Amino acid sequence: MCLPGYYEYSCRVKIVAGHDALERIPDLLRRLGARRPLLVTDRGVAGAGLVGILREAMGERLEIGAVADDVPPDSDLEAVNRLAVLYRESGCDALIALGGGSVMDTAKGINILVSERGDDLLKFSGAGTLKRPLKPLIAVPTTAGTGSEVTLVAVIKDRQRRLKMAFVSYFLLPDAAILDSRMTLSLPAPITAATGMDALSHAVEAYYCLGKNPLSDVTALAAIRLIGGNLLNVVHNPSDREGRLAMANAAALAGMAFSNSMVGMVHALGHAVGSVCGLPHGVCMAILLPYGLEYNRHKREAVMGELLFPIGGPEIYGKTAPEDRTGRVIAYIRQLNEDLHAATGGRHARFFGEIRDREGNHAAPRRRLPEIARTALGDGAIFYNPEDLDYDDLLMVLEAAWEGMPLDSGRIRKG
Amino acid sequence: MESFREIPAGGKPVKRAYVALMLWFVGRAIQAAARVDEAVGEEFAALPEGFAFSLEVLPGGPAMIVGKDEDGRVRYRGWRPAGRRLDLRMKIKNLEGALLMFTFQESTATATARDRLIVDGEVPAARAVVRILDRVEVYLLPKIVAKLAVKRYPDWPWQEKIANRLRIYAGAILGFP
Repeated sequence: MCLPGYYEYSCRVKIVAGHDALERIPDLLRRLGARRPLLVTDRGVAGAGLVGILREAMGERLEIGAVADDVPPDSDLEAVNRLAVLYRESGCDALIALGGGSVMDTAKGINILVSERGDDLLKFSGAGTLKRPLKPLIAVPTTAGTGSEVTLVAVIKDRQRRLKMAFVSYFLLPDAAILDSRMTLSLPAPITAATGMDALSHAVEAYYCLGKNPLSDVTALAAIRLIGGNLLNVVHNPSDREGRLAMANAAALAGMAFSNSMVGMVHALGHAVGSVCGLPHGVCMAILLPYGLEYNRHKREAVMGELLFPIGGPEIYGKTAPEDRTGRVIAYIRQLNEDLHAATGGRHARFFGEIRDREGNHAAPRRRLPEIARTALGDGAIFYNPEDLDYDDLLMVLEAAWEGMPLDSGRIRKG
Repeated sequence: MESFREIPAGGKPVKRAYVALMLWFVGRAIQAAARVDEAVGEEFAALPEGFAFSLEVLPGGPAMIVGKDEDGRVRYRGWRPAGRRLDLRMKIKNLEGALLMFTFQESTATATARDRLIVDGEVPAARAVVRILDRVEVYLLPKIVAKLAVKRYPDWPWQEKIANRLRIYAGAILGFP
C-alpha cells in the first residue's frame, strides 16, 4: 500500500443514496435550518421531467422559493449574478442543485454571493478566500460522472475575459448529496457512456497519480468495481434501477477519490480539448484515459496492475502474471470504449478524429492539436502526473489520441 | 494540580538558516538563469509584465521573491514578501516540508501532491514557475541529486549544460543582475 509521508483527506458531505432518496430532502433542509430553497437546474433536466419528480417526492413538506431552470451548459458569471438576485428577491434561505457539473458549479457560485452578501464573484476566486460556512446546499446529480456533488471546487466562466475561474474551499462542499436512481433513468445512452467514463477516469487517475493516499485508494477502487460491473449494462438497459444507483454511487466515490488526490495528464489534456474545441468533458476522458495509463506505465507499473482486481475480478487478477496486469487494464479500458461505441450505435467516440460536428467537420480538427498542447501545459493537473510532460510529449499523446493508435512506447521519454 | 514550566517550541535556527540560504541562492540563480538559459528566459517572457512571485515557508518565512522589472529583466527581490504586490505566492506549509524539498528528498511535484504547498495565484503561472525551478535545479545540482528533485532529468548537450551551469553559479554568487 502506498502511504505518503503526509497527506490530507476530507469529505464531509452527507451521502443519501437509494431509490427513494429524494424524499429525505425536506427533512435534511429542516435540520439545516432552511425552509425555502432556490431550485437551480437547466432546461434539459427540466425538460426530462426531473423537476416534477423532485417536487412530487417532496410533496407539500417543502416550499420551493423559486425555480431557476436556465443554467447554461458551461456555468458562467452572468448566470451566477442573475440567479443570486433571484435568490434574494424570492426570499430563499438554501439551494438545491439539480443537474450535472454546470448546475452544481452555478449553485456553488450563487451560494458564495448570497452568503457573503456580495455582488462581485471575482473577489472570491482562488483558494482560501471563503472564511465561513455558506447557506445550506443540497446537490442532486442527474448524471453519474462529474462527482461535483462531493467536491470543493466550482469552475465558472467569465465570458467577457474569456477565462475559467476556479473557486476552491471546503465551504463549497454541499451539505448533502442525494443519489437517487430516478434522476438518471432517462439519461441518453451516449451521455450515460461518456459520464460513466468520466467517473472511471477520476477513479483511475486518483489511483495511480502522485497524490494517491490510502483513503482515496479505497474510494477509487470501489468506484472502479462499480463502474466495471454496471456501465455497459446501464447503456444497454437504461431502465435498470439497480445499475443506475450503482453508477450514481460510483461517480460520488470517484469524486471523493479525485478531490482528495487530484488527477493527472488525462484531465490536463481533457480540459484543454474542452477549452479549445468545446468537446464534452466525458468524451475527452473516455478517449484519453488509456493514453494516461500508457504514458505513465513505466513509473506506475505495479500500482496500475492492481487496477485489474476491481476491473477484471479476483480470478482474472490471480491468473494474470504481475508484469501483464497493466497491459490487461489498458486493453480492458480500450475494449470498454469499443463496447460502448457499439452499444450507442457509434455515438460514443473512441478517438478524436472520428468526432464530427453537425456540419460534418472534425469537432477537434488536427490542426488545432498544437494549440491544445500549449493550453494543457498550463493545467495544474500536470503537477500530479507521475511522468513529466512538455509540449512535445503532450502533442505526441494528442496525435495518437486523434488517430486512435496506441502510444509508441519507444517515443515516451522516461524520467 | 502540580504546575509545569511552559517550554516554548524551538525555533529550529539551523534548519531555518539552511532553508533561508537555499532560497536566497535559488532566487539569485533564477535571476542568472533568466539571462543564461533560453528556455527560462522564454518562460519569463511569456509571463505578464511586472510579474512577481514568492516562494515562502509558513509561518513567517524564510522566503524569496523574484520578479520582472519594467524593462522585462528578471531580478531577485529579496526575502520579505510583506507589503509587496505579488502575482503568485507559493507557500510551503511548514519548515519541515521546506527542508524535505531543499534537501531534495521530495521533488516540487511530490511536495504539491502531498499537500505541502499552497498555491495562491493563477495556476498556469504556477506551472511556469515550477518549470523554471526544475531547470534551475538541474543546473545547480549534480545529476544524482537533481534526479531526485525533478520528475525527468533532461537530456541536454553536456557542453551547453556545463557552460550554463558555470555562468549561473557565477551569477548567483556574485549577484549579477
